[in-house]
Amino acid sequence: MVKKQLWQVWIVGLVWLLAACGGDNAPSAEHAASECPAPNPRLEVSSTELNLFVWTEYIPQRTVDCFEEVYGIRVNREEYSSSEELYAKLSVGSASYDLVQPTDYIVNLMIRQGLLRELDRSRLPVLNNFDPNYLDLPFDPGNRYTLPYQAGSDGIVVNTAAVENLPQSYADLWKPEYAGRLVLLDDSRAIIGATLLALGYNVYTQDPAQLAEAKTKLAELAQGVKLFDSDSPKNALMAGDVDLGIVWTGEAILAQRAVPSIEYIYPSEGVILWQDNYAIPAEAPHLDAAYAWLNYSLQGDLFWQMLEEFPYTNPNLAALEYARQNHPELYTSYVESPITNTPSDVLEKGHYLQDVGEATLIYDRIWTEIKGE
Amino acid sequence: MLQSLRENRRWQGFLLILPALLVLGLLLVLPLGLTVVTSFAQRDVDGNVIYTFTLGNYWRLLGFTETGWDDLYLKILLRSLALALQTTTVVLLLAYPLAYFIARAPQRRRNLLLFWVLVPLWTNFVIRIYAWVMILRSQGVLNSTLGAVAGLVDLPWQPLDLYPSQSAVLIGMVYEFLPFMILPVYTSLEKIEPALYEAAADLHANALQTFWRVTIPLSMPGVIAGTILTFVPVIGTFVVSDILGGRQVILVGNLVQRQFLDARDPPFGSAASIVLLGITLVLTLYYTRRFGLGEEIAAG
Repeated sequence: MVKKQLWQVWIVGLVWLLAACGGDNAPSAEHAASECPAPNPRLEVSSTELNLFVWTEYIPQRTVDCFEEVYGIRVNREEYSSSEELYAKLSVGSASYDLVQPTDYIVNLMIRQGLLRELDRSRLPVLNNFDPNYLDLPFDPGNRYTLPYQAGSDGIVVNTAAVENLPQSYADLWKPEYAGRLVLLDDSRAIIGATLLALGYNVYTQDPAQLAEAKTKLAELAQGVKLFDSDSPKNALMAGDVDLGIVWTGEAILAQRAVPSIEYIYPSEGVILWQDNYAIPAEAPHLDAAYAWLNYSLQGDLFWQMLEEFPYTNPNLAALEYARQNHPELYTSYVESPITNTPSDVLEKGHYLQDVGEATLIYDRIWTEIKGE
Repeated sequence: MLQSLRENRRWQGFLLILPALLVLGLLLVLPLGLTVVTSFAQRDVDGNVIYTFTLGNYWRLLGFTETGWDDLYLKILLRSLALALQTTTVVLLLAYPLAYFIARAPQRRRNLLLFWVLVPLWTNFVIRIYAWVMILRSQGVLNSTLGAVAGLVDLPWQPLDLYPSQSAVLIGMVYEFLPFMILPVYTSLEKIEPALYEAAADLHANALQTFWRVTIPLSMPGVIAGTILTFVPVIGTFVVSDILGGRQVILVGNLVQRQFLDARDPPFGSAASIVLLGITLVLTLYYTRRFGLGEEIAAG
């Protein structure tokens, strides 16, 4: 208890200190950290700006700084925290983004709606960096529109120090002993999907009867949910506000680094899998900058940082190779952790979401009812 | 041309308000009009708006569906109204004595006190709400402090389970909107002529009577302005509820946001925001008319 208090005093003190002397010290400190790798190859760019619309907490600041320094291009970053939000903003057509990060199931829909621009593969030497297992997937055959960014799963996270009987499946989360201790992603598709899997149904069913059943089932679980959070569910786990729940790969591993008793369990129904991708919107105003960003930011000697900062499953072989040679501990912890390096049997048993068309309204209705009653 | 402009006062006036008119037209009337139009439109499977007239969105919102009565959305509306009412009441009860205290303080100290009321507003509002998470969470500042105190005096102690909860939401809301009540109430309290208190004393009114029959009526414009400044933004807000309530409930603000960002149903979201706007407008108008203080608000 006393330790915790001290910790908070420290934080407050630190914030003061940073606020007080940040102005003077920041530039020199930044300079020391920024020995940016050279772009290889360096592209011809005439644009002076690049507008990113990306997932929240997903791109290392150094990548942005280095790109700005190397190319002299200003990077404007806007963030979203659900695929639906990305789709909603892009489909209105007013936004002038150059790059977006759609997740697998939303890619299809965006292509169908003509929201994405076909990639010019001749301008993407970086294509050789990727593990073929993450290319040519059903949502974008032949990678005509997307490049893989990172992949992961919506598995079960548990603080083994606080929970006695560990859940082995999504269905186990309904056990009364877990009530009041749960954190779930605030993501209707993921959580309704997990409920459908617990009931033995297809993760992207459009069948109204099955969805009705899922609603009743999920309403039971929701009673015991302390927190819905898609922004940073790890915080509540690390602070001990909650003991278990459903979160993304990277949140689980970051929580585990802070609190080693936190573990990640792949549910026996088969985990929900996903892959985030880069894509260029149809109306992107700064195409040359977008291609420069793709080639540079996905370079092995820059993208390896993801292992440290946003450790999800990394489809970038060049980055892994760079990490193996230059940051062996990081590489080893990545390869040896079943959280990031998803075992192949888990991948085989896993489920990808798909767009559910007209049933989107039913999904929304379920989510609204769960929280609205 | 310039000559005639110099002589024509009506044109001068028009030119002077032109910038304000443009801002209002572009940033208020146009988006609002678009929202109204969209609220009568339909959607396709992928969430594109189809401009075919329908009243369906409003019927659905009010509970009349093809499959029968459905009060889900009405309940959400009522919950938001109840929370706004609760917040406003607590804020008023806390703010009034404080404003009174400040208004009665010596002139020099008054400014300092007002300054303290305003200082928190320098920090971004979301950050202040996250600070409340730090304070209220199970092993947060509040619980460790109370725990330490209980340990000192040797009392049995059970950590408070405040975050996330609806009580935390209320705490955050009250905290957030307190200054918006204190300031207008203070302004109208401060304006009361001291001579009026003397007159009340001359007429043998005791302190309570003076307060009840002089102070309260004369501070009503501030109270009304303050309640409106609190109530109106509180109905639509959902950030505090999301952060401190753990996103366990949906308020009407969430409902609107979800229609645009998750449900791919902009027409329904537009209808919901128009209904919210209507309710707010009616309540505010009724409230100001009921107390007959419309002009004072404009003035004070």
